[in-house]
Amino acid sequence: MLNRRSALALGAASLLAAPAPLKAQSRYPNKPITLIVSYAAGGGTDAVARIFAARLEKILDGRVLVENRPGAAANLGTEAVAAAAPDGYTLLIGNQGPMVVNPHLFKRLKADPATTLDPIALIADASLAVVVGPRLPVATLPELVAAAKAKTLVYGSASNASASHLAALLLGQVAGFEARHVPYRGAGPALNDLVGGHIDFMVTTIPSVTGLIEGKKVSALAVTGTSRFAGLPEVPTAIEAGLKEYTASAWYGLLGPRGLPAPIRAQLSQATRETLRDPTVVDRLKDDGATPADLEGQAFAEFMAKERARWGEIVRAANISLE
Amino acid sequence: MGDMFSNLGLGLQVAMTLKNIGLCFAGCLIGTLVGVLPGVGPVATIAILLPVTLTLDPTGALIMLAGIYYGAQYGGSTTAILVNIPGEATAVVTAIDGHEMAKNGQAGLALGLAAIGSFIAGTIATLLIAALGVPMTKLGLLFGPAEYFSLMIMGLVLAVVLARGSLLKAIAMIALGILLSAIGTDIETGRERLTFDLEMLYDGLEFAVLAMGLFGFAEILKNLQNPEARDVVRSKIGRLLPRLSEIRENLPAILRGTGLGSVLGILPGNGAILAPFASYALEKRIAKQPAKFGHGAPAGVAGPESANNAGAQTSFIPLLTLGLPPNAVMALMVGAMLIQGVIPGPQVIDRNPELFWGLIASMWIGNLMLLVINLPLIGLWVKLLRVPYRLLFPAIVLFCCIGIYSIGNTADMVYLTAVFGLVGYVLHKLDFEPAPLALGFVLGRLLEEKLRQALIISDGDPMVFLRSPLSLSLLLIGAAALAISALPALRARRDEVFAEE
Repeated sequence: MLNRRSALALGAASLLAAPAPLKAQSRYPNKPITLIVSYAAGGGTDAVARIFAARLEKILDGRVLVENRPGAAANLGTEAVAAAAPDGYTLLIGNQGPMVVNPHLFKRLKADPATTLDPIALIADASLAVVVGPRLPVATLPELVAAAKAKTLVYGSASNASASHLAALLLGQVAGFEARHVPYRGAGPALNDLVGGHIDFMVTTIPSVTGLIEGKKVSALAVTGTSRFAGLPEVPTAIEAGLKEYTASAWYGLLGPRGLPAPIRAQLSQATRETLRDPTVVDRLKDDGATPADLEGQAFAEFMAKERARWGEIVRAANISLE
Repeated sequence: MGDMFSNLGLGLQVAMTLKNIGLCFAGCLIGTLVGVLPGVGPVATIAILLPVTLTLDPTGALIMLAGIYYGAQYGGSTTAILVNIPGEATAVVTAIDGHEMAKNGQAGLALGLAAIGSFIAGTIATLLIAALGVPMTKLGLLFGPAEYFSLMIMGLVLAVVLARGSLLKAIAMIALGILLSAIGTDIETGRERLTFDLEMLYDGLEFAVLAMGLFGFAEILKNLQNPEARDVVRSKIGRLLPRLSEIRENLPAILRGTGLGSVLGILPGNGAILAPFASYALEKRIAKQPAKFGHGAPAGVAGPESANNAGAQTSFIPLLTLGLPPNAVMALMVGAMLIQGVIPGPQVIDRNPELFWGLIASMWIGNLMLLVINLPLIGLWVKLLRVPYRLLFPAIVLFCCIGIYSIGNTADMVYLTAVFGLVGYVLHKLDFEPAPLALGFVLGRLLEEKLRQALIISDGDPMVFLRSPLSLSLLLIGAAALAISALPALRARRDEVFAEE
């Protein structure tokens, strides 16, 4: 299926390219760039992609079309980009789930991001928030840890092996407690049960929970990044709250098919750097709970390798990997 | 109460600006179209239009997107009634009696009842949101995994009434539906179940794929088989609008449907999709002549259509009061709000009162517009049936394919739909009903999810379902319903309910 799809894409590409004058062909981009998002429209990754694409197309002076390719735990998007021609016209917004966690979860991954994709630049880092509902009336992170050691707590997550699940697992590992995991389909239903007092706590993405924090339906005990989040200035980081080794973040990066020509890669890194300096982009990312990052090329690849090893350990320790 | 009216006054002021009326109308019109076209759903449409709304202000954007959503609920019944193909998943129930009515020459009556029922339901549900939105939020929060599971069990017991023919076959279909809902990645362990290594099945079967296959493609196959007795209503169209007496007759069904839909719509995990099934089951249970159901009972259209629209309206409650989306469309609305810089949550009502009340007021205006759009359109829709099959059917197949393709931007889904089309045809030949299968599928996923969540929370203790008073009462109602159909004194009546054709 993929072969045929990519063959069609190639066919379409050559059709489009053929009538273009030679001069235009030497310039990149000379036709629209497709930016693939592995999730349906309306989610966090999609929002970051659209904010990024809107500015990127002005800087590159060419259309950047966001295409949603959801499915198979976000593996379909990875595969589509891995199978595309490495000409800079098919790019991927990759986040930590499909990029570094899925290789530990799926026995037969059709496209391993580490070997089939070229990392271009890390776009943004989004820290998560540790929140409790009415079932667990604690005010600080150490109190949560103490409560979790006194009796087994239950926590919800957006889904099995999601950033929200893994970050909560890591919290237990670092703080030395075990809690029962209740998987949901999406952060929404899980938060519903947190607000309703059916589960004790959650580690979740910030935009999903900002409104509930402000409305005092849940309280935020800590954010999981290395610095406080500007939208929640009164909430300490986990490090400040006493868990010195605890950081976790969901991140978003720009990747292309393996084998991108060096000049195009350089042009895309440069354009990404410029995009992330734009104050409106910075503000919009902040609304989505994210802060701009500054890792490019090799440094981004090394970051991905480190993340892959780190989450792999947690996945194995919790025994959620597939044999 | 006075507060509510001054708030609604503010909302009307916002919603009645020329621009917002225009956006509301655009949304309702697009929604109606999306609803009428089988396979093309509001989720895909709203996702496509999301970037466009960036150019609008937040209130206008939400007014339009909301219009698409509830407009689609109106339109979905049209194709269900006329060609027995549900335009939307929620119209599956409407097709049962709606199409029978059309075959009896009552297409106009069915369409009219659907539109008027939806309007009444929409009006009442809008008032409910305005008056009781905040307290009703608490009702949704009461339903934890244990309570939700018991609700599903109760639904399952009532569901067997959906059967037109044999009870045993209906139960078999429900079981098959539950089995199909188990396809995909296991929610707790992440292992793949019944996926046969096909990537398109990793995330489970899409309801639209199942519904368009079993109802859409299968219906066309059925009709191709006997060209002379094709199932579309041709000559007998009948009156276009229902008489006042007919509306009055069906008013109780409309009101009951509205009540059921309003409550189910608030529940997390897309409770609204259960509303038409529940209403149909209720109407058939309490009907004086249950045998008429499945053969063109007007209450079987009026009730579920009202329930469906009421549920669509009240599913905005958790979104507006907590910022928590109960279904995929509402999740997109959260996305739209975030894109606009509005943080969804309990504070929206205080911080953005013009958005909160404007949206609510626009829903009522939208419902009125939909009535005005839909009643005159009935004549046009009915004329559509005069289009020759050789043109009508390929067009339906084409739209089904476009809609299914747009779900995941992949043709694999279309192939899968074709497979379910064949399955649907075989089931029809063997006299199995697809509606209980669809309900089993919808209930199955929630049943499993909530059962496992409840048992994880209780650490494996099954008493959790009896300890919560709400959960216990729901189970007792289910048990009572089961007992009633088993009691010999009522056997005659039950036989009537489940009468073999």
